[in-house]
Amino acid sequence: MRLVRRTVAATAAGLLAAAALSACGALAPSSSDGDGTVLRVQGMPPGTEKAALEAFNRQVAAFEEANPGITVEGTTNVWDPMTFSAKLAGGSIEDVISVPFTEPQGLIERGQVAAIDGDLAFWDHAKEFNPQVLTTLSDAGGKLYGVPEAPFALGLVYNRALFEQAGLDPNKPPATWDEVRAYAEQIAERTGKTGYLQETKDNQGGWQLTMMTYAHGGAMERQENGKYVADFNSAPTKSALQLLKDMRWSDDAVGENQLNNQADAIKAFASGQVGMFLGTPGTYKLAKMTYGMEDIGDYGIGAMPQAGGNATLSGGKAYMIPASVSADKRAAAVKWLVHAYGQPQYDPAIAAENAKNLAADPKAAVGVPTLPLFTAEQQLKIDEAIKPYVNVELANFTPYLTGTPTLELKPEPPFQAQTVYTALDTVLQAVLTDENADIDALLTKAETDVNTKLLADQP
Amino acid sequence: MSLAVDVPTEAEAAGKPAARRPRRRRKSKWRNELTALVLLVPALLTFGLFSWWPIVRGLLISFQQTNLVDPAKWVGLDNFRAIFADPLLGTAVENTLLFTGLALLIGFPLPIVLAAVMSTVRRAGGVYRFLAYLPVVIPPVVSVLLWKWFYDPGAGLFNSILGLVGLGPYPWLQSPDTAMLSLVLESTWAGMGGAVLIYLAAMVGIPTELYEAAQTDGAGIWRRIWHVMLPQLRPVIGLLLLMQLIGTIQVFTEPYVFTGGGPQDSTVTVLLLVFRYAFVNGDYGQAAALSFLLAIALAILSAIYLRATRAWSRT
Repeated sequence: MRLVRRTVAATAAGLLAAAALSACGALAPSSSDGDGTVLRVQGMPPGTEKAALEAFNRQVAAFEEANPGITVEGTTNVWDPMTFSAKLAGGSIEDVISVPFTEPQGLIERGQVAAIDGDLAFWDHAKEFNPQVLTTLSDAGGKLYGVPEAPFALGLVYNRALFEQAGLDPNKPPATWDEVRAYAEQIAERTGKTGYLQETKDNQGGWQLTMMTYAHGGAMERQENGKYVADFNSAPTKSALQLLKDMRWSDDAVGENQLNNQADAIKAFASGQVGMFLGTPGTYKLAKMTYGMEDIGDYGIGAMPQAGGNATLSGGKAYMIPASVSADKRAAAVKWLVHAYGQPQYDPAIAAENAKNLAADPKAAVGVPTLPLFTAEQQLKIDEAIKPYVNVELANFTPYLTGTPTLELKPEPPFQAQTVYTALDTVLQAVLTDENADIDALLTKAETDVNTKLLADQP
Repeated sequence: MSLAVDVPTEAEAAGKPAARRPRRRRKSKWRNELTALVLLVPALLTFGLFSWWPIVRGLLISFQQTNLVDPAKWVGLDNFRAIFADPLLGTAVENTLLFTGLALLIGFPLPIVLAAVMSTVRRAGGVYRFLAYLPVVIPPVVSVLLWKWFYDPGAGLFNSILGLVGLGPYPWLQSPDTAMLSLVLESTWAGMGGAVLIYLAAMVGIPTELYEAAQTDGAGIWRRIWHVMLPQLRPVIGLLLLMQLIGTIQVFTEPYVFTGGGPQDSTVTVLLLVFRYAFVNGDYGQAAALSFLLAIALAILSAIYLRATRAWSRT
């Protein structure tokens, strides 16, 4: 009898475990059944950003009212390549994902995100997007894969207080790379701080060398016999690297620590240790809200300094839909994209309402200037509408706002940008940690390595 | 229950009961095995789903090209070919072996020495054990971030202290010559607590008579260590050596958080390369293929090691 009981108990335990495990499969992301569609969307602000979270919840309520049968569940998840892959493989990825501008081309290339042109056609303003902004979100055939939020062009972020201490005019950031070198040396010499900080790791070195190459008139890839090959072993990239080498070894103006990514740069900048670094106006929010910059009035930003290229790189983030999302749910997700990101960036009244709500939180950054998502005229209307609620020091963005429109906005390298960036991280690190680094030899090796990989992956 | 059960039958008396009892025993044994099997089901399911199936899946993916959305495409040995064509593979293998070698040189003897010293402490032994184990309790990423500040070439703790006695400043993580050594120092600090406690427990278990006998025979401290303590610790040393080899070859957190593989690829390890394949380039096939090769290398290494040390462990 005891044996029977034991067997029954063990069987029950086994079944329970099996049930529990099979329940894991029930962690499916969202449903689309007879009761309606449930959309799981990234982009919900965390609880610490109270005003932004309330605004998001109001947006959700308005959307659900206007679209009966669609329920929106927000998540505070942000882009993370590791969890993205795992959730995509496990079928639990959200229906709308938030992606920084460095990622869309790779996602499109691998077929991991869905084109949205067809579903977006219902929106009257679908054809009015600023084409420069959409380059990063489109494939070679011109199909669109996402809606941008707060698009930026890369510029030069600088510390106005350190400029003053160094005897420089905080309203006149360097406009050329020669001036960057001179200013950096002056800041380092007179304040003892890092004059200019260069990012070099986690592929962000390659990313920054790309913008410097554009500013020097170069390109990172070119097409040869229908295939993409490296194009950075050229005079513009060499000039950019030589400049950095001189700033490091002749001027001693780029600090001691040469292994930095963007987070390290913003952190050091927010604590007043850095005079200049390359970034978008979006770094204002990070410096203020994430790294607690003591006097945010010291934040200044200018247009990308130039050396003959008259160009810069685009940046920002976008909302995209994974390719695993079903067609009917994708249509619902596109409606959400229009409601949450398209219309508020087009309609001055909605933009003003959102800005008013956000401004209720003194820690929030309202009015950080962006590139026009539509036409320049439309952006002017938006800027005018949100003016009463702007709490950022707009005057400190003036050099950026006046300089950037004169530059050509270039996208990331079109094929396997991350492969290019990885190789160039190594080159930058060599230039900044080895006084005898041979730039020509380093670029030749990087070119060979990159081409080996690029050509292997192109049929 | 009737008496008849207990009273031997004629047949049993004639020596035939043996035929019925084994059948009952067999039945009972079968029931026991079934019970054991049923009790194993949860563990089998759990391991199967969360451990063995992913291993099998990883192996399959190494022969596929997949974007995790569309059906995977079989590509034969293409992923392996691409890995061997990667110019960084050789560097990553060299760096991984360098890390393993340095960790063996620095990190392996240190816990034995510390445990030996701590075993002689008569008072407040718990405090030392606590201090030795403390770094293990700190999350690995936190340890690395702490040491990143220690290593800062400007205002870092190490250069500040060394500067007081006129040494340095040293570049630590900033130079390809010293970056790997810096990673090994941190990983030794962070990971040796567990080994110290295991050695300490093993040392406490060595009969004191052995030391006393050696001492009576005129053995000094070094001879007692060499001829009594170390031979008694052989099985533990052997096991921990194997675990350290396997652990250090899979080093990832330190290069990922400290240096991102730099400077100049001097800290790119095999696992960091796997990470880049999967999560930077989105090539899961190549990542799985390199993981598979690493697993084979570890299995071969373990087999060679076990064979080589079998005799040594027995004596």
